[in-house]
Formats: sequence, structure tokens, C-alpha cells
Amino acid sequence: MTLNTASEVISLSRKLEEESKSFYQALAQRHPELSEHFLSFAKENEKYTREVERVYYGVITDALEGGFTFRIEPGDYRISTKLQEEISLARAIGAAIKMEEKLQKFYMDSAEQSKSLMADIPRAFAQIVRKRQNRIEELRAMVVMNLNRHEFRSSVY
Amino acid sequence: MPVLEEPIKEVLKLKNYINGRWVDSKSEKVVDVRNPATQEVIAKVPMSTGDEVAATIRAAREAFPEWRRTPPLARARCLFRLKELLEENFELISRIQTMEHGKTIDESRGETRRGIEMVEVATGIPSLMMGYNLEDIASGIDEYVIYQPLGVFAHIAPFNFPFMVPLWYSPFALATGNTFIVKPSPRDPISQVKLAELFDEAGIPPGVYNLVHGGAEVSGALIRHPDIKGITFVGTSKVGKDIYQKCGEMGKRAIVQGAAKNFMIVMPDANTSATIPALMTSFFGNSGQRCLSGANLVIVSEEDIFYNKFLDAFVTAASKIKVGYGLDESIQMGPMQSVDGKERVLSYIERGLSEGANLVLDGRQPKISGDYPDTCFIGPSVFIDVKPEMIIAQEEIFGPVAGVLRAKDLDTAIEIANRSRYGNGNAIFTSNGKSAREFQYRIESGNVGINIGIVAPMAFFPFGGMKESFMGILHGQGRDVIRFFTESKVVIQRWF
Repeated sequence: MTLNTASEVISLSRKLEEESKSFYQALAQRHPELSEHFLSFAKENEKYTREVERVYYGVITDALEGGFTFRIEPGDYRISTKLQEEISLARAIGAAIKMEEKLQKFYMDSAEQSKSLMADIPRAFAQIVRKRQNRIEELRAMVVMNLNRHEFRSSVY
Repeated sequence: MPVLEEPIKEVLKLKNYINGRWVDSKSEKVVDVRNPATQEVIAKVPMSTGDEVAATIRAAREAFPEWRRTPPLARARCLFRLKELLEENFELISRIQTMEHGKTIDESRGETRRGIEMVEVATGIPSLMMGYNLEDIASGIDEYVIYQPLGVFAHIAPFNFPFMVPLWYSPFALATGNTFIVKPSPRDPISQVKLAELFDEAGIPPGVYNLVHGGAEVSGALIRHPDIKGITFVGTSKVGKDIYQKCGEMGKRAIVQGAAKNFMIVMPDANTSATIPALMTSFFGNSGQRCLSGANLVIVSEEDIFYNKFLDAFVTAASKIKVGYGLDESIQMGPMQSVDGKERVLSYIERGLSEGANLVLDGRQPKISGDYPDTCFIGPSVFIDVKPEMIIAQEEIFGPVAGVLRAKDLDTAIEIANRSRYGNGNAIFTSNGKSAREFQYRIESGNVGINIGIVAPMAFFPFGGMKESFMGILHGQGRDVIRFFTESKVVIQRWF
């Protein structure tokens, strides 16, 4: 079901951030050696939600096309956040990268589609796209840093 | 999609807010307030008695001398507190509006935001209210102007923006040192009750801000009372003319914002993909119950190709609008606010058919998302082959009905629009600066849109309106409203 209204898209953003946060919290529990990183991601997710909501509530106006702006297909951004019991750290980070790319795509599309709204809204989405890119690079760096470990070699390559 | 939690869980018995106290009305006339989507009664509103109106005015009059002596900065600080409280209650107020009016949650939040913006602008009163002066108008003589408040003002509110419209006036009236009475629309008074609670919590002294419920009788009593210095009104032009006339006879100030029939003119060089969503909001947002809603779509084209292509895009988009209860976030259009409103729209659709217009999208049997009674629901409707002389092209329908006209060029389109007796919010959609400039220059409209479908001025600009859409000199909002709420006193001084 296509999402057309700003309100729906904000709610989807909130839901995705929440799911992604739970994923990182679970990952932190499973891998205490990297828990600091993962928990900081989870905390950042909360910040993204706050930022998007702050902007939306701050500039929403019924004079612009809030109800008719978006054509977001939620199915395109469904993320898998369940950590299998036996999943290796490498695979888990791989899953995190995939998840982040999907979220990034969601914010990219939302930014593109909301250009007719107050500029703050697409700007907020675009900012999260940039921050997610940093996170993806950080996750990739984790893979590289751990390349020597057998577990990584066997599961990533 | 599940609906958001409803903030009103039991039938509210509404009270008047007089002199800083919530007072039960003694009136036996009580009207039900219904959620137009669910048809549930959510409140009971009294039609207050003459004595209650008199008591409200007395309280406001007695509070005036002290309030006007309160320094503007202190008055502004009360408004800063109000602004904070409004932010804290943002979602609650928005959901109440959806429940009492029927608009979608995005629209309600937009209305709340616009209302808060009025308060924000009014907090600048120490600067906004400054007078001016000139030394040495003659040797050793100086002259200056001071803006002073006048006393008690009253606002008679419309149903279509139950929360925001009273805020076009109340924060400015209070900031300038006047006292204020709001009479909400009895159809959807609940968000105003919440607002009065917040005024109270913000520390506005008793009597400075008051709320009295009622209908036409209460309005009449407010208008006639000699202690009321001015009236602000938003509603139909018919009632507005009557109010304006009465105010004139009694020497009162008045801002009267009336009906509209807005033209959206689309040029062949318009950006179609950006224009269509803007037109959807314009024609069908708030279920067409806006004085700034698009009513007539004029497609400028001699060639059939552009006309047919644009019309097809417009009708297709309108036919996809999701209709239902506004607390469902996926809904793009809520119900009409009342059964009367729906019946009025239906009668205009019948009228259009009898006049020979072609109904290419019929909203009379809407598909409603969710299990709700169809009592107030109506879907988007589009007439084509509309001629300027038809009643449906001239009268305000105040519902989700678009009439499509065709003009061979911009001159003809402007001529058609200017023939309207109204002039509230007309817009052009074009990529051509010359066309836009020509339109802006010649269109007889108080608010002019260039690639904007809802020409709603921000709080720091006046809300325009021309011809029968507006009666008065100074408008609501912006610098105009500061002047409206103040008298200019000129002082010429010389010291021996």
C-alpha cells in the first residue's frame, strides 16, 4: 500500500528507526567487544527520529501538499532485524550494512519526493542519508579491521 | 491502517471561561458536537444566555485598565508561556481538531502550527507596537505617534479552522493590551476550550481572555454591546455584510472575512507533475472547506492535446484520493464537517448537472476507507464543460467540487476570474515569468498564488481579501492587525 501523506512517512521513519535500534541493541548484547559502537548507533537512531519529528512538527502546514506529496512503497524498505542464533559477527555486520543501505534509500527517496514541502523536511531527510553513509563506512571499516580473524575471512569472502 | 488514539474519550460538557473561571451555562439550549467521521457525540455545547454574554463582556471590560498598563514585554512573556504550552500540547490539540472537524491529521497539525506561528509573531509586540516621532516639526516642537489599545474585542469564529482562525486575532489583541472574547463555532468548539485552558495556564490574568459559547444570538449580543470596541469575523459574506453594517452603524471596528470562489489558472507551460499535487491540496484539502480552496480550474489552452492531458492527470489524481477518518494517517481527505455542509454540496452537484456541466468524477457515493457511516462523507467531484455564467462557477460550494473551465489565453482566463464577485485566493501555475507578473498585476484577488495552490499568508503578512471576500480596511495578521487593535494618538509637544 503506497504511502501518500507526510504523517504516514514520518510514522514509517519512526518504525524503521525503532527496528534498526533494536537490531543494534541485540547485536551489542551478542558482541560485547563492539557493543560501544552498536549502542552508539542505537542512540543515533533515536536522534534521527527526534530530528525528523522536530522538523515535521515544526514546519508542517496544510497549505502545502503534505497529503499528496509522497509515493513511498513501504515494502521496498522492509528491513530484516532478527539476529539468527548462530549468526557470525561478520554476517551480522553484513546484515547491518544491508539494513543501512535500505534505510538510506528510504531517506533518499523521501528527500526527493518531499521537495515541494518546506525545505527543512527534505533537508532533514538528506542529512540522515549523509549520516547513514558515514555509518555504512564505519561498519565496512569494522569488517576490514577484523579481516585477519578466521571467522571474518570465512564468512565474508 | 489503524487510527491514532482519540484524545476525547467521553462526552464533554463544555463550559464558558469568564473572568478566569470555568462557568457552567444556565442555558437550557444545548447542542451536540459530533465527530463527523464516526457520528459519535463528543461534546455538548451550551447556547449561552444574554446574562452570560453580558457577564463576559463586563469581565473583559473590567480587566482592561490593568492589562493595558502591563508593560508590552510582560504581556509578551505571557505569550511566550502560551507558545511553550501549545508546543507541549501540539498533538493533543491536533487530534481534537480532527475529531471535532473531520480534517486529516496532517491538516490538523498544519493548522496547529499556523496557530502557534501567530503567537510567535505576537510575542514581538514590543517592536511591533512602537510608534514614531519627528523632532522639530516647528522650531522646538516635536511630534510623535503612540499606539494604544482600545478595550474589549470579540471574535466570532468559523467552523472550518476551529483552532487557527481565532488565533489570527487573539494573541495580537492581547499583546497590544486589549482584552478579548472568543465565541467559537458551536459545531467544533473543543479545540478553543483547550486553547482557553492554555491561556489560563500561561498566566493571562482573569478577564483578559474569555470564551463564551453560543450561536447567532450570542454573536448578535456581542456585536450590539456598546462595550465591544470591535469585531473580527470569518464566515459567509451574507452574515459578514450584516455584521459589517451593524459595526458601522455603531462606530465599531470590524474585520470581516467572507466567502470565496477561487480560480486556479493553469498555463500550457506549467510543470504538470508539480502542479497536480498542489491542485489536489487546493481543491480537496480540508474537504474543500477553505476560503482559499481552489474552486474553478481554468486550463489555458487552444490546443486539445494539453487540455486533455492535463485534465486527465487532474481527474486521475482526484479519483485516487483516499477518503476516511482523519485519525487514520493514510487518509487524504476527511468528511464534510456537517450534514448540512454535505447536503449543500450535493445540491450544487445537482445544480451543475441541471446547468449542463459534465460530471466526470462523481463523489456522491464515495468509497470510505474503514467502517464509518457515510453521513458526512463525500468524495472528490469534478465537473468539466463549466461555463463562467453557470451558478456552480460563481457561487461558493465550500466542498470538494472542482469546476473545470477552458480559456484560449491568459487574458481570457484573468477576465473570467475577475468577473467573480469574490477575490480571495487566486493562483496561476506557469513557468513563464511574464505570465506570472501579468497575472499578479491584473488579478483582483487579495491573496495571489504563483505556483501555490493554497495562498495562505504567513502570520507576519496580512491575510488579504478583495471584493465580497473581505469587508474592512485592515486585515487579519501581520502589521495590519496590530493597527486594527490600536488607536494612534498623536502628540505635539513644546517645553517653555
